[in-house]
Amino acid sequence: MSGREMECAAAGLGRRDFLHASGGLVIAFSLFGAADATLAETADAATRSLAPPPAGRLYAWLAVHPDNTATLFTGKVETGTGVATALAQIAAEELDFPLDRLDVVMGTTSETVDQGPSYGSRTIRYAGPQIRHAAAAGREALLGLAAAHFQVSANQLATGDGAISVAGKPDRTITYGRLVDGNRLNIEIGASGERFAMHVAPNVRTKDPSTYRIVGRPVRRKDIPGKMTGQFTYVQDVRIPGMLHGRVVRPYGVGATLASVDETGLKDIPGFVRVVRRDNFLGVVAETEWGAIQAAAKLGSTLDPSGPDAGQAKWSRWEGLPEMERIWETVRKTAGRNSTVASRGSVEAALSNAVRTLKATYRTPFQMHGSIGPSCAIADVQGDRATFWSGTQMPHQTRHDMAKLLGIPLEKTELRWFEASGGYGRNGLDHAVADAAVMSQAAGRPVRVQWMRWDEHGWEPKGPPIVQDLLGALDKNGRVIAWRHHMWVPTTGDTHLIAAELIGKPDVTGATGLGRPAVTYAYRFANADVAGHGEGRVGLLTAWLRSPAQFETTFAMESFIDELAAAAGQDALQFRLAHLEDPRAIGVLKAAAGKYGWESRPIGAGKPDGSGKPDGSGKPARGRGIAWVNRDDVRVATIADVTVDRSNGAIKVGRVVVAHDCGLVVNPDGLRNQVEGNVIQSLSRTLHEEVAFDRAHVTSRDWMGYPILRFTEIPDSIDVVLVNSGPEYPAYGAGEPATCPTAAVIGNAIFDAIGARLRQTPFRPERVKAAINA
Amino acid sequence: MPRNFTLNVNGAARTVDADPGSPLLYALRDNLGLHGPKFGCGLGECGACTVVMNGNAIRSCVTPVSAVGNAMITTLEGLGSIDNPHPLQKAFIEEQAAQCGYCINGMIMSAKALLDRTPHPSRDDITLALDGNLCRCGTHMRILRAIERAARQGA
Repeated sequence: MSGREMECAAAGLGRRDFLHASGGLVIAFSLFGAADATLAETADAATRSLAPPPAGRLYAWLAVHPDNTATLFTGKVETGTGVATALAQIAAEELDFPLDRLDVVMGTTSETVDQGPSYGSRTIRYAGPQIRHAAAAGREALLGLAAAHFQVSANQLATGDGAISVAGKPDRTITYGRLVDGNRLNIEIGASGERFAMHVAPNVRTKDPSTYRIVGRPVRRKDIPGKMTGQFTYVQDVRIPGMLHGRVVRPYGVGATLASVDETGLKDIPGFVRVVRRDNFLGVVAETEWGAIQAAAKLGSTLDPSGPDAGQAKWSRWEGLPEMERIWETVRKTAGRNSTVASRGSVEAALSNAVRTLKATYRTPFQMHGSIGPSCAIADVQGDRATFWSGTQMPHQTRHDMAKLLGIPLEKTELRWFEASGGYGRNGLDHAVADAAVMSQAAGRPVRVQWMRWDEHGWEPKGPPIVQDLLGALDKNGRVIAWRHHMWVPTTGDTHLIAAELIGKPDVTGATGLGRPAVTYAYRFANADVAGHGEGRVGLLTAWLRSPAQFETTFAMESFIDELAAAAGQDALQFRLAHLEDPRAIGVLKAAAGKYGWESRPIGAGKPDGSGKPDGSGKPARGRGIAWVNRDDVRVATIADVTVDRSNGAIKVGRVVVAHDCGLVVNPDGLRNQVEGNVIQSLSRTLHEEVAFDRAHVTSRDWMGYPILRFTEIPDSIDVVLVNSGPEYPAYGAGEPATCPTAAVIGNAIFDAIGARLRQTPFRPERVKAAINA
Repeated sequence: MPRNFTLNVNGAARTVDADPGSPLLYALRDNLGLHGPKFGCGLGECGACTVVMNGNAIRSCVTPVSAVGNAMITTLEGLGSIDNPHPLQKAFIEEQAAQCGYCINGMIMSAKALLDRTPHPSRDDITLALDGNLCRCGTHMRILRAIERAARQGA
């Protein structure tokens, strides 16, 4: 069997999956011109090219099989957002092919083109057009084949549902599968540029969007039946013959050095194989998962280690993290680079005309991705060759990183991609591959590494803490005449690898970027000063967390607007509309308000006396909040009702309405699923989430230490209104924008209910009570 | 100590070679190749590893294999398949109640135990039964609807 077959068999893939997996194989093998699959398979591991296919050839994107099924190949990957199905819809549309006969191969580096990482809500936006053009070129190529087959000109032919007919002669029909007859689609279609900026088949004619029949139609996701029945193969489920199980033993303190390792008793653990120690990198490998877990525990990998020498591995005493309670002072003090987002008029000069000036500081903590399945990967390093099995969101980049980490030639490495538990940016997946690589290189066998829960909570890269100062001034008419928003944002994209740092090669790959002022300044104030102070790493490793930094900046911007509206005694919606010119922003605000049934009234005036103060009844107070965002050209407005229990500070969210304008929507049901998910996840971040740490390490090491939203806390309902979603609009991407408004919406609703302003997340009950009593 | 355990899984007797103290989860996943139950936390906190044992939804990640005895264990695979899904699985597919889907094993198995006990649960019954099951993608609204749909259809 070939490697892929073994891994499929070992992973328990069904016949249908295997058929599709082997479809991918045929493509890879045919690079060598091998017509016979058996012959090709024997040639597999040792000789086949591991380079990605050339983007300018049609077979890099499409294969049509003799049974008239087809495969779409894409360097993009599924992270649970439904893009596998949406990209298939785009391809099926242009190819005139039945969606249920089109499979998708994602991410595997030898079978797909590098279209850039799957992050930043960019997959449909950037890879969508690339695939649309490739599929259109495929349809053109098939028409050419059919023209030769029927001896007619291509303009006498019509495509439909995976077959081509001579116009007016339905008896003269041939399926794509028969036309292609098992051959590779070795046709030049042209490509230029790289990754997000790549243009594929630039000269091909694509369909008139107004004729779309598959794009824009709600379809069931292809991956869901397998996921509901245990038949889907996650990266956590992949098993490779001869594989060992590995577990990491991380330093007690983030920057601690390894003093000694006492291996007493490890040999008595059934299945134990060996310790892997390389500088400060420590891990164990065993024949069984339980053996590896027990051995790692002896060395000190437990939920609650009591100190740097609690286990048989002894670490230096390192306490170099900043103080948690004063982390925002550390953020302010870290040297970085200033950047200007908006500079208009003179804020200082305008203040002399102000009748009311407000100032506020907003603080948000470290938060984590919190994937339910801890990061997992397999590496098989054999001399100067290596294969990785990973669920990374950036398979092609990670392949490059692993070659550098191991010091082996890129052309001898391959990353085989399998979906992981949802990642929401960059969790530990890339780091787990590096751990597996280091351990496999040492052990000389394939090693599967799965992080323990405390490894994931403790060591996944976090979203950074952010502090923001705002100042706003109102004139006598209640208009904003001055606005200042300064934000201090540590890096949200530090791509250094933990294993590389631990083995003493911290800079072999990766970089610490500076934080960006992730905000779209959208209001039209006469005098404005919006600026960012982008910092580097502040304490803990950070990386992109859903809507990096813009969840936080939207919290500050849209809460402070509310503060000004409340000070002016105005309605929250009307106040925003009065200061906006962007028609799409106004569009989503009005659409949300329309669906909600918004009636204008001053903020805080929902109570009988309009005071926002306790009404003396002792009943929970009710309020409503609104906020919106422009995230990378997507506009989202959210409205929510909350109930605040003054006695204990508990927040309950009632109805939520979201108006969402991301342009063309490929799969409306998939999009609604995403919007609901964004709302609930961001509500969790708003109400519960803060990474705790002491001077040595993260102390939020499990779900007790880092609670997230539970079923008994979810909103009563989430209504989603799609705005400007038709085929006449470009697609802007929807994986994360609906995260942005939530903290401001809830904070604004709490203020509306009880007259107390929350300027720091999470809004845990004790913080709400403190705000009530302030 | 004995290392061979005969487990009653999805209606069949299956013998596994395992350390007596090792959690049932690894016997199911690694020895028997049943990948429905997932490793999420190993601490009984998230519910991804849930299986039904003698009618109760239990956390297989903290249940020693030696404590299982003759108990009847049902995993996600024991309910149904893509070609022949259990009504609960069918309802989850119809409601498209998944994003990454990693937690869904626990959702369906917890719902199975609930519906076997309480065929017509209120929304509060469902949210309480699932309160120990974490979903990070935020698919809660759809999961609720799927369980309500299954209950209506007499799962």
